Amino acid sequence: MRNRLKVLRAERDWSQADVADKLGVSRQTINAIETGKYDPSLPLAFSLAGLFGHPLESIFTPGPAADGANAGQ
Amino acid sequence: MSSKPARFMSEDAVIITLGVSWLVLYLGVRFFLEANPGLEHGVRLGLAFVPTPVFALFLWKFVKGIRTADELERRIQLEALAVAFPLGLLLLTTLGLVQRAVELNFQDWSYNHVWPYFWFFYLVGLWIARKRYT
Repeated sequence: MRNRLKVLRAERDWSQADVADKLGVSRQTINAIETGKYDPSLPLAFSLAGLFGHPLESIFTPGPAADGANAGQ
Repeated sequence: MSSKPARFMSEDAVIITLGVSWLVLYLGVRFFLEANPGLEHGVRLGLAFVPTPVFALFLWKFVKGIRTADELERRIQLEALAVAFPLGLLLLTTLGLVQRAVELNFQDWSYNHVWPYFWFFYLVGLWIARKRYT
């Protein structure tokens, strides 16, 4: 699954740790989602969408991650 | 394991401390039993169970830690255990077969020496899983 987390985060000048703190997850989790190594659960995906104020489908789109990661999930 | 802000002693540190405490207690009891073969049977048996409550506490904190961890950490722990459990099973069943095929030296392959492999398998699984997601 592709996502625009990195772009949205950069627009707000938030670090991965900032996003992690706001959502109550680890920085490693945000990094893994951004790099496409991990697809978040639906509740976490909705939390991310709520945090950035965008609809879910505008943040996450189907298809392989840009770097070809998360194969096999 | 936990992603919460650090407190006086984080949950991870508590879990590791309990694990190390169990190990120290286990080794202490083991060497004491080996050094004192003349102890009464009941005392020896009682001493053998001394490390058990500490391990039970470790297990409780470990499971609690996994329950409160975030979703990626839970997945990592699951994958680590998914590697460790079958490998442990493979080790025990293979040793059982080898023991039937040939005489294994008790000093090399008794319960006293096989259990560290389970920790090793878990750490290998943890390393693989963390590498996958970082």
